[in-house]
Amino acid sequence: MTDRRFFVILFVAVGLLSLLPLGLGVYHLHVMIVSLFYVMMASSWNLLAGYTGQVSFAHAAFAGIGAYTSGILAAKFGLNPWIGVFIGTILAALIGLGMGILCLRMGGIYLSLTTLGFSEILRIVITNEYEITRGTMGLQVPGLVADYSKPAYFYIMLGGAMLTLIVLYKLIYSDIGLNFRAVQNDERAAASLGVDVVRMRVLAFTVSSALAGMAGGLYGHYLLLITPEIPSLDQQFLVLSMTVIGGMGSFLGPIIGAISLEIFSEYIRAYGEYHVLVFGLVALVVARFAPNGLMGLAEHRLRGRRKASRTVSAAAG
Amino acid sequence: MKRKKSGLWLFAVVLSLVLAVGSAWAQETIKVGVVGPRTGSAAATGKAFEEGIKLGTDYVNAKGGVLGKKLEIVFEDTAGAPDKAASGFERLVTRDKVVMVLGESVSSSALAEIEVADRFKVPFIVVEAWADPITAKGYKYVFRAGPCNSGVVSETIAKWVVAEKFKRAFIVAETSDWGLGIAELSKSALTKAGVQFEAMTTERESKDHYTELNKIKAFDPDVVLAYIYGSGLHYFVAQAGEVKLTPKAIILDGAGPPSLWPDFWKNVGDYGNLECFVSSMHEKVELTKLATEYREAYQKAFGTPPTDYKSRSIFDSILIAADAINRAGSTDADKLVDALEKTSLLVTRGTVKFGTEKGGTEYHQWMPPMLVIQWQNKEQVVLYPPEAATGKLMR
Amino acid sequence: MFALAGMNGLVIGAIYALAALGVSLVVGIMNVINFAHGELYILAGYFSYLFANAFGMNFALAMTLAVALVFLFGLLIEYTLIRPTYGNDMYSLILTFILSIVLQNAYLLIFGPYPNKPPNWVGGSTLILGSFYYGNQRLAALIAGSAVITLVFLVIKKTWFGRIIRATSQDREMAELNGVNTKRLNMLSFGLGCALAAAAGVILAPIFPVTPTAGVPVALTAFVVVVLGGMGSLWGCVIGGLIIGLVENFGAAYISTAYKQVFSFIILILVLLSRPSGLFGRREA
Repeated sequence: MTDRRFFVILFVAVGLLSLLPLGLGVYHLHVMIVSLFYVMMASSWNLLAGYTGQVSFAHAAFAGIGAYTSGILAAKFGLNPWIGVFIGTILAALIGLGMGILCLRMGGIYLSLTTLGFSEILRIVITNEYEITRGTMGLQVPGLVADYSKPAYFYIMLGGAMLTLIVLYKLIYSDIGLNFRAVQNDERAAASLGVDVVRMRVLAFTVSSALAGMAGGLYGHYLLLITPEIPSLDQQFLVLSMTVIGGMGSFLGPIIGAISLEIFSEYIRAYGEYHVLVFGLVALVVARFAPNGLMGLAEHRLRGRRKASRTVSAAAG
Repeated sequence: MKRKKSGLWLFAVVLSLVLAVGSAWAQETIKVGVVGPRTGSAAATGKAFEEGIKLGTDYVNAKGGVLGKKLEIVFEDTAGAPDKAASGFERLVTRDKVVMVLGESVSSSALAEIEVADRFKVPFIVVEAWADPITAKGYKYVFRAGPCNSGVVSETIAKWVVAEKFKRAFIVAETSDWGLGIAELSKSALTKAGVQFEAMTTERESKDHYTELNKIKAFDPDVVLAYIYGSGLHYFVAQAGEVKLTPKAIILDGAGPPSLWPDFWKNVGDYGNLECFVSSMHEKVELTKLATEYREAYQKAFGTPPTDYKSRSIFDSILIAADAINRAGSTDADKLVDALEKTSLLVTRGTVKFGTEKGGTEYHQWMPPMLVIQWQNKEQVVLYPPEAATGKLMR
Repeated sequence: MFALAGMNGLVIGAIYALAALGVSLVVGIMNVINFAHGELYILAGYFSYLFANAFGMNFALAMTLAVALVFLFGLLIEYTLIRPTYGNDMYSLILTFILSIVLQNAYLLIFGPYPNKPPNWVGGSTLILGSFYYGNQRLAALIAGSAVITLVFLVIKKTWFGRIIRATSQDREMAELNGVNTKRLNMLSFGLGCALAAAAGVILAPIFPVTPTAGVPVALTAFVVVVLGGMGSLWGCVIGGLIIGLVENFGAAYISTAYKQVFSFIILILVLLSRPSGLFGRREA
């Protein structure tokens, strides 16, 4: 895929989406805003897990770092939330850099467990330091716009998602991106080919954490209430499922996964308290029988057609 | 790539449209929302709410409904978590288009919900969330037809501690808006009453209280004011028995319902004997005729007498809401607020009148009378207030 | 306070060790981390509650049956979910992570949010060292936990089956060459790992009644213990379990009750920093 094509598609899609507030009611706009948050989360987690094979369980924790940093600065010190989100993103990036370095020497499972431990520590600290964070009671924070308006937040989240996707695209579809895949496939072989494995892994960790921090910050100021639910394992589960169902290691997969699953879970919520269960079962079946997710399935069908007509594959790039 | 992507957006848009059409069906009923925890650690309250909702809607609809239409309740789960509470509340308003919202039993959730109520200008009657700021914030659309922390402490708990002549008290509070708030109020009330005390905080979900209990035991209190909601209280009471803090010290469950939940006795065993708790309901103390009617209707519908008093609290709030809608003659939010402010309605716990003076917890607040009850050989004995007492404290 | 913290540390440590043994066994043989370990622990608690309270079974029978059922459930999980993932340990981690959330929500649907408590085996409490009262049920749990751990050690060290397990976890290919049916062994050891979680569950459920999400901290601690003790090392589990149990309880007694779990996670990260493959462990292949 060339740069130009990517940007054309992105801007057309964003252009179409920005018409949504004209036709959608408040409730459905809310669903779209949450979907966009998950697009940011799933896509940036995908950079880590899908492209460098580092299955981190701390991605939601980094969203929490972004949200709480910005939220505390705004609620306790009256800082402008936009500056807060920026600082939260930087802090998430720095901690992500630290985690990336910390986990360098660890193999796959150890890395997962360490990130899990980090995420739990963060949760416990947030819960217990309730004098600063208000713990499970939830921290009320000011909004990003003076007058609360769903369309305004929709455009903000759309902008955030766009920025996230551009950053990810630039990373993945550049020379660095080729290196990412080499790292995932075989670290030793990649190293012998002159790929700086260490730098790749740490870079992925830093960027992905920063993006999660930004997503968390924006989301927190949309909800106007920051709770330990943002950096929770449940949240991590949602992000992981969306990525896995959409297709780990593909650029479009997490986007599809995030939007379709958020709409899906909002839809089944109307039928009772089973949405997480249904969600989990779907994720389990997809992960078991279609390990490359919906994108994997689509590609599979496409490849069948590709044999018939070469032109289709060119268009689908 | 391009084709797939635009296909995806089309899918999203079409799906959203389908959802929009689905929820915009013509309204045959007048919808009122209820928020409360149906899942999570306080889900037992959701069960109690469900029972009260059934009896409440039946009662109102049997008397002609609201504005000539049937009253319909939409019960949204909050999972006891403020973020889910806020988004659930918003969903009731934006998706279900309810005219009013009732309920909530978790203070932290209620504090998040009143912001949404204020933002969307929807009348909200809080039922069993006790933290003072809920009404003290002075929001026009927020009412509370139920206990508030300061009321419970000053009217009931502190007076009871003095009446029983307890000399040393220990306050254990969970880290929630309810727990921390009621603990602070208890501290100042005990200081004023000259009762010696110490205090600590604990986590609601905490299961192992041995260390904390031994610290409490070292203080040697006469009474332990336990502000822990949910099954955490069961562990606390059971382990207090094991470390022999009780029966020398008396434990007061400052919330009430956990001591009445179906699993209480299974979880605490014999150590539950002599435990005290706060409640607004007792089988032998009926303040109104409606309370007796409620007990009979409950017995008829569910086959057992009511235990968790929060089922009756939500029942009351449904009556208050229906009365206000009928008097307002409209579902307009401001007219409903006017009608609610003029409420003078007999419910199961007495006559509801909301305070109208701004600037304190009293604003839009109606405080029902509360009782202190002790488990004596699995019988509930009312200890306080004296005019309602059915027995004496057993130690 | 000192003696009490030590006592609590021992009891909790023994249970941690037991839960961690199951994780360790599976990691050692299959190189699979079962994220749903805690949910199997909870499942056993629910079963023993169900059999003892609803069907009125004797508590020992109820417990045995619960462990046996979870063992079978473990075989089923291995057959349906884990088997296709061999060679890709991250994939099985993701699958079992999803499974754990599914199970939690299924429990919520079936058993409800209330804590479910199987009956106590013994009542009352005992004065320990003349300084504090300790629940008899906790003492019984300590004895039962130690007994099961001893049994596991006997099986692994002394029996033919144990020898196969040790051989396979040391060198899988060699074991295969020597005629070990590793497919069946995998299934069996996964089942056994689950059964160990179940054993921990039935022993602890009367003290800490089970709720749908109560398995999460247990599993997390078991993972910490396994990393601390080294993946696949049995002695490491026992020592790691006791260390974590003691650290948590001394930390709770003298520093902060609320930060109990943080202590163990900090230890975990420190250990991994200095030795990325655990204290006693072999380096991951």
